[in-house]
Amino acid sequence: MDAFLAQLWIARWPIFDGFLMTLGISAGAIVFGTILGCIVGIQLVFAPLWLRLPFRAYVDIMRGTPLLVLILAAFYIPAVLGLSLSAAHAGTLALGLFAGAHIGELLRGSLQAIPPGQIEAGRSIGLTFPQILANVLLPQALRISLPPWINTGVELIKGSSLLSMIGVGELLLKTQEVIGRNFMTIQFYVFAGVLYLVVNIALDLLGKSMERRLGARQ
Amino acid sequence: MTTTDTARPLLDIRGLRKNFGAVEILKGVDLSLRPKDVVSIIGSSGSGKTTLLRCVNLLEEFQGGDIILDGETIGYKTVGGKRVRLRDAELSRQRAMTGMVFQSFNLFPHLTAAGNVMLGLRKVKKLGKEEAFVIAEKWLNRVGLGARLEHYPSQLSGGQQQRVAIARALAMNPKLVLLDEVTSALDPELVQEVLTTIKSIADDGATLLIVTHEMRFAREVSSRIVFMEQGRIAEEGTPAEIFGEGRSQRLNEFLKSSRH
Ligand SMILES: Nc1ncnc2c1ncn2[C@@H]1O[C@H](COP(=O)(O)OP(=O)(O)OP(=O)(O)O)[C@@H](O)[C@H]1O
Ligand SMILES: [Mg+2]
Repeated sequence: MDAFLAQLWIARWPIFDGFLMTLGISAGAIVFGTILGCIVGIQLVFAPLWLRLPFRAYVDIMRGTPLLVLILAAFYIPAVLGLSLSAAHAGTLALGLFAGAHIGELLRGSLQAIPPGQIEAGRSIGLTFPQILANVLLPQALRISLPPWINTGVELIKGSSLLSMIGVGELLLKTQEVIGRNFMTIQFYVFAGVLYLVVNIALDLLGKSMERRLGARQ
Repeated sequence: MTTTDTARPLLDIRGLRKNFGAVEILKGVDLSLRPKDVVSIIGSSGSGKTTLLRCVNLLEEFQGGDIILDGETIGYKTVGGKRVRLRDAELSRQRAMTGMVFQSFNLFPHLTAAGNVMLGLRKVKKLGKEEAFVIAEKWLNRVGLGARLEHYPSQLSGGQQQRVAIARALAMNPKLVLLDEVTSALDPELVQEVLTTIKSIADDGATLLIVTHEMRFAREVSSRIVFMEQGRIAEEGTPAEIFGEGRSQRLNEFLKSSRH
């Protein structure tokens, strides 16, 4: 144990950097994915059929493809097209596109769960459709979506570990580099695992407390 | 004030036709309301009462006829001889001129009673927060809910929720209020408080078009009663005429069947 703690002390900065990278990429992906998901979810419910189809295709392709394949695609395809994306950017893009599809799909479900009387009540007082969306539908749909949205965040934190495959210096890759120097394989993998777990439990608790706060009002 | 002001109808429905798919639901309805009229529509289930109100509030498209509200033809315009539906912004402006109260209340569950009433004032009438709150408070007081401003719909009884919905419609200062069986979803002991509220706004001079199965209420509150049957207005008259002698066989049967 002492030997592990001594090695951990030596490796503290690289591991901390990796941890921050994991959080940063996940945060970037959830922000991008949420914005994208809102657009996608709204289109899936309210757009005319011809416009709905491309969004439907996007969601089904993203949800049907393994995350690692998406990450590799985001890393290699832009390079082939002559765009230069850093590995971290490509990884964030892949995770964001993945999250956008999941959030879009869950927002679609939440929007469709709202009784049609809500739109009619909004119309009858003279709200335009965008106003109904912003003031009546989205506040209710986002509330229903909150628990699975948090879950998507947890998936992103875990999924970000796959970015080690394209050389992004996030927690898993940094941990592997440290293990390469001190050969304390089990100890450092367990340590990284505990860090992932702590973040995800914290997210879960945050979600539960938000849910309770919102739930109390309904 | 000239006499033509009160002579001009506030709502004028002319030859209204509406179908769902191949089925004609409204088969040429003519109805007109002057300011401060209180007109009740009665008729058996499926006769098209709800559909008529929804057309007036532009919640449904309709295929023929005109609805003229305070001199303005609503819902459609004629472009090069063709009838076209107006765009969302135009429809919204026209919808704001009528208020609607629904059978199932349709309050916004994420907003308080005051928030429900304020939403239209803020977003449609573009009032400031304080100003909107003062109006919401006034109307919630008016329907007897001054002590429930900050309650969410889930914390209110059905009767209270429906009164919030009435306040929400009236706070927008509509020219006309449509009420569709507003007590049908309520427990019997909560019906009276809502009917009393409606009676009092009628007494204040609101123009109301009411669909109801409460015959006694219709008789008390209405200046005129309309009997609908299979998408048409079959009979129309004062409460005394409708409930008195000399009515048609069909109306007789309907009134008998609805008295239990
Ligand atoms: N969205 C719809 N699609 C198809 N048919 C409809 C639709 N809404 C109503 N209808 C039909 O139109 C007819 C009239 O319905 P409406 O709801 O206007 O009747 P109502 O007089 O209000 O009846 P009730 O007293 O039961 O409320 C009914 O036959 C109904 O089945
Ligand atoms: Mg009806």
